[in-house]
Amino acid sequence: MKKLKLSTAIAAIAWATISTSQVAHAGEINIIMEEVPDYDIVAKLTDQFTEQNPGITVNFDAMPFDAMRDKILTSSLAPSATYDVIIIDNPWTDEFARAGFLEPLDSLISSQDGYAYDDFVPALADISKVDGSIYGVPYYNYALGLIVRQDIFDSKGLAIPKTIEDYMSVVKSLTTNGMYGAAMQPQKGYKIMEEWKNWLYANGGELFDDAGNVIINNQAAIDALNQYIETHSQAAPPNSANWGFDEALRSVSSGKAATMLSYNWMLPALNAKGGMSGDLAGNFTLHEVPGGKSVLGLWSWGITANSDNKDDAWTFISWISSPEVAKQRAIMGGAPVRNSVMNSPEVWEKGYGKAYYTALADILDGSAPLSSGNNAEELIEIVGTELSAAVTGQKSVKEALDAAANGVERAIK
Amino acid sequence: MHIKYKLILPLVFLLSGIMLYPFIFSLWLSLQDYRLTRINDVQFVGFENFGFIATDQSFLNAMGNTISFVASAVIIELILGLSLALLIQKLLIFRGFVRSILLAPMFITPIAVGLMFRFLLNSEIGIIPFYLLRIGVSLDWFGPELALFSIVLIDVWQWTPFMLLMFLAGLEALPKTPFEAARVDGAGRWLTFSSITLPMLRPVIVVALIIRALDAFKVFEYVFAITRGGPGNSTETIMYYIYQTGFRFFRMGEAAAASILLIIFILVFVILIVNLSRPKVIK
Repeated sequence: MKKLKLSTAIAAIAWATISTSQVAHAGEINIIMEEVPDYDIVAKLTDQFTEQNPGITVNFDAMPFDAMRDKILTSSLAPSATYDVIIIDNPWTDEFARAGFLEPLDSLISSQDGYAYDDFVPALADISKVDGSIYGVPYYNYALGLIVRQDIFDSKGLAIPKTIEDYMSVVKSLTTNGMYGAAMQPQKGYKIMEEWKNWLYANGGELFDDAGNVIINNQAAIDALNQYIETHSQAAPPNSANWGFDEALRSVSSGKAATMLSYNWMLPALNAKGGMSGDLAGNFTLHEVPGGKSVLGLWSWGITANSDNKDDAWTFISWISSPEVAKQRAIMGGAPVRNSVMNSPEVWEKGYGKAYYTALADILDGSAPLSSGNNAEELIEIVGTELSAAVTGQKSVKEALDAAANGVERAIK
Repeated sequence: MHIKYKLILPLVFLLSGIMLYPFIFSLWLSLQDYRLTRINDVQFVGFENFGFIATDQSFLNAMGNTISFVASAVIIELILGLSLALLIQKLLIFRGFVRSILLAPMFITPIAVGLMFRFLLNSEIGIIPFYLLRIGVSLDWFGPELALFSIVLIDVWQWTPFMLLMFLAGLEALPKTPFEAARVDGAGRWLTFSSITLPMLRPVIVVALIIRALDAFKVFEYVFAITRGGPGNSTETIMYYIYQTGFRFFRMGEAAAASILLIIFILVFVILIVNLSRPKVIK
């Protein structure tokens, strides 16, 4: 019996240790992050924060994207949060806010001296507003732009396409002798939805009309999908029906494709000397997507509603997203979210040059989120599956878009 | 209480905790509109989730894909495993070495195998498409026509060793006398195999089939690592469907209903296999 009691006690202590070690103590904040280059920059900058705020210990838990949503969910459903600060992908914002996972930040923002909330690009800041309250502040953008091999365009005397029809024509003309005009990303789910929606915008389409009706199977969507399929079949590399970001990037960086629609901050990576593009580095330029309205992605900083350390969490968020630190982050290679940063000569000089930031400002100016509203993640997956079925000929364009519309109707209920 | 009942009590408690409780909770979940993001607004919906799932095209497609996958993978593994076992049984030298090499794939975690083949078969950076292209063969391994077949091949690569192991153990346990008698009677190799080896190996084959089929029904890692169910939903399997419904869309009620339907299907399948595999009694 003694042995039983002892083992029970040991088990209880072990369990208590495990349980409590996951929740941050006073003066300590746990932050969930995605393992991307921007995280490395934030981690480096945080040394300064720790020096300035010795009473606050910052613990990062960096992980791949796929693991994040589940972790945030379980943390938010627990009585006390594992994560005091979370980064929120834009399709999650409404869902998490309505579920009560996020702390409204309005009063914290308004009482923060020198924070300059209005300096955030409005299209980015608006993503984190749900029913009039602010649930996040921008961390980094991943708006899509058109990345082109400028040397090829120059040698052939081609102008940067401004409309989707021009783009189709240009990429078809570039598809010769083992070179392909467009490295596309028709992978099921998020990737194809993210890419195709630029085509939808170029055709004047949207997921919902102003009254909230699903219009993803209207004529604009049909035209956009027909154009997308035509371009994929005529200007994208063969056997690329399941390509995502990695494959498309590899195709462009290795000189097999002349253009791609991708995240604006891939430009510096492609042009980096000694980087992934080898001798091609320096030949890439960034432009607005054809049609002028691009898909906007955003990660935001948020505080969990069940955090025990909300004040410390805000101290960190207000510091890392402040105008001064935002400028440092951009100079170190982070994707900017503040107008003052994109317009700063210091950032142009020490960062990636004026042309990049000017192009980015133009992209952000006419951009709109991939999806917003409740259950946006589900919506993206449903539409992205149907789009992929149409591209690979498993369904006709009309069948796929009708099925997508039915799925969306159900998802948003 | 008799001592024999007392002795099994700890196991009963353990199994109740780790199996019975989750099962009953799943049954309860399947009758609710239970979403992880609306945990304070759970509503009883009766069999509505079952009605939706049973008529959902995605579920039916995932079920069809899974059945095709299980049938193809297990049959190929059975044939290959048995053939290799017969060959290795006759092997006189390097027997242990050959066995070790052939069993190696089984010890790799499936998600790693999925990632490995994702790169090996990748049309942009994969070494297999690269060399195939050199001999004029251009295949889109993860395109709509071949994607499910590619997943089958990956499963065959990893799990044929399991069949091999089972059949090798079965073959080595067979009595020698019937084979000697057959040889004395002048039976050929095929007749010996079809009339003696196969019938005597039947219990091992049935067990191997059931274990592999049950395991193959759970296929998830390859799909998750490589195709995410695409292109379209050509490789969406039932486990991926359940994962997506429950953990991506947070619709736990529907995911539980799909799981219950899967359990019923697997139970029927196992009963059928066991019944069909019983030796016929000649009166």
